[in-house]
Amino acid sequence: MALLKDEDRQKLVEEFGQKLASPVKLAFFTQNLDCMYCGPTEMILKELAPLSDKITLETWNFVNDKTQAELYGIDKIPAVAVIGAKDHGVRFYGIPAGYEFASLVASIIDVSRGETGLSQESKDVLMSLSKPVNIQVFVTPTCPYCQSMVRLAHQAAVESDLVTAHMVESTEFPHLAQRYGVMGVPKTVINETASLDGAVPEHVFMHHLQEAGKQL
Amino acid sequence: MNRQAAHDLIVIGGGPAGLTAGLYAGRGGLRAAIVEKLMPGGLVANTERIDNYPGFPEGISGYDLAQRLQAQAARFGAEFISDEAVGITPEPKSFTVPLASKKVLRAKALVIATGAFPKKLGVPGERELLGKGVSYCAVCDGAFFRGQEVAVVGGGDSAIQEAVYLAGLCSKVTVVHRRSSLRAAESLQKLAFRNERISFAWDKSVSAIEGSSGVTGVRVMDKGTGVDEVIPASGVFIYVGYSPNSAVAGSLVKLDEAGHIVTDDNMATSHPGIYAAGDVRRKLVRQIAGAVGDAATAAVAAQHYIENL
Repeated sequence: MALLKDEDRQKLVEEFGQKLASPVKLAFFTQNLDCMYCGPTEMILKELAPLSDKITLETWNFVNDKTQAELYGIDKIPAVAVIGAKDHGVRFYGIPAGYEFASLVASIIDVSRGETGLSQESKDVLMSLSKPVNIQVFVTPTCPYCQSMVRLAHQAAVESDLVTAHMVESTEFPHLAQRYGVMGVPKTVINETASLDGAVPEHVFMHHLQEAGKQL
Repeated sequence: MNRQAAHDLIVIGGGPAGLTAGLYAGRGGLRAAIVEKLMPGGLVANTERIDNYPGFPEGISGYDLAQRLQAQAARFGAEFISDEAVGITPEPKSFTVPLASKKVLRAKALVIATGAFPKKLGVPGERELLGKGVSYCAVCDGAFFRGQEVAVVGGGDSAIQEAVYLAGLCSKVTVVHRRSSLRAAESLQKLAFRNERISFAWDKSVSAIEGSSGVTGVRVMDKGTGVDEVIPASGVFIYVGYSPNSAVAGSLVKLDEAGHIVTDDNMATSHPGIYAAGDVRRKLVRQIAGAVGDAATAAVAAQHYIENL
């Protein structure tokens, strides 16, 4: 069964045609057992990848293909690493469905172009970082506000080599939700030290990133 | 600094009203920009299903509607700016609007469509337990309370709609309401009353949200008997109405006691060149259908104002 409606498929073909620049690789990590959302995630990726000849899908087994998993720092599945001319550190852990499908599409475009629509002020903040920053954005696929935080985190990763950004689907990784006390989304955890509840505007997000970068 | 206004019209707020104002302004040939701090759609994007917006007989998700409105505004040339307007400064025949990013926009007229934000109860525990069981978004956070008991505070459309949604995930949903009947639409009430997982605590005012690392219950007081009790719940979803986001224009335009912007029939505020549309405005009914109507009027009225400058 096709997940995407014909109308949406056509729109995506047009959007990718207009906006994609360099090739993008989706490195997908999966396994057959004990992974409820690996199958559905694969179905989504298999429908998305053929919509542009600039997108390729590589599927790796999380257990057997250890070298690849280590290369991309994958520690849980399902996982999608969005790789462009280089690895910007853009990851999706858990199914990129619901509102997060839009995040995946947008991140593919940003990674392909190697640049984002962030403001010059935000880019200046990212340029000023001197230490690595990891951002985990906890989401649920039914959360409309989460997407705006995932977008900001992934955009920051594309713009700065020091930033890596992970979408984490909370219900699939309850141990992480528990560890970071996630009972509401979006919740953004920066370098394990700082956390941010709810969706915030771009300038507020960048301020938190800057502060967390200092605390290392 | 360039004194020439770069835009004819700036719309502050990107919900249904703001996007519609952008659409009408763009179609009218104005150079229009919509400034939105979070995402297109505003509060509407948070609504799982909208069943009363005309033209969508099967209903439409808030997110879908927002995407469509934005695409339509963009088609007619309205610019979408992801930023936060932090003030308004009137200048001769124009306004400057400073943004959070330190950029400054300039336009001949403004439409304030900043909408409203969910009201807080203002009780102990509410702020402390935010993100730890206190939520204002059932579709976002309901999944964390699967199979558990939760409470919904409120008796309007949003409260009952979300109670019904939560009943699909949670073992028990208690609707806590300060009156003895609901304000929600009849069709929603029916859905709630016949749902076995939903029960009602009538005539109760919430005095505190209990818990330390997570919510354990809602402390309520019966308004008739004065009896105090704790309703056990691991999540509490608060839908007690909305407050207008009028701060950006508050010192320039006339507001009512609740902070809504007062307008005339043409959506003009007390300040020439500033118009208001949607939930931020003083009016009886706050619905998407009304917000887009306000916005069409505001954009056309603003265009007349600009042409007569």
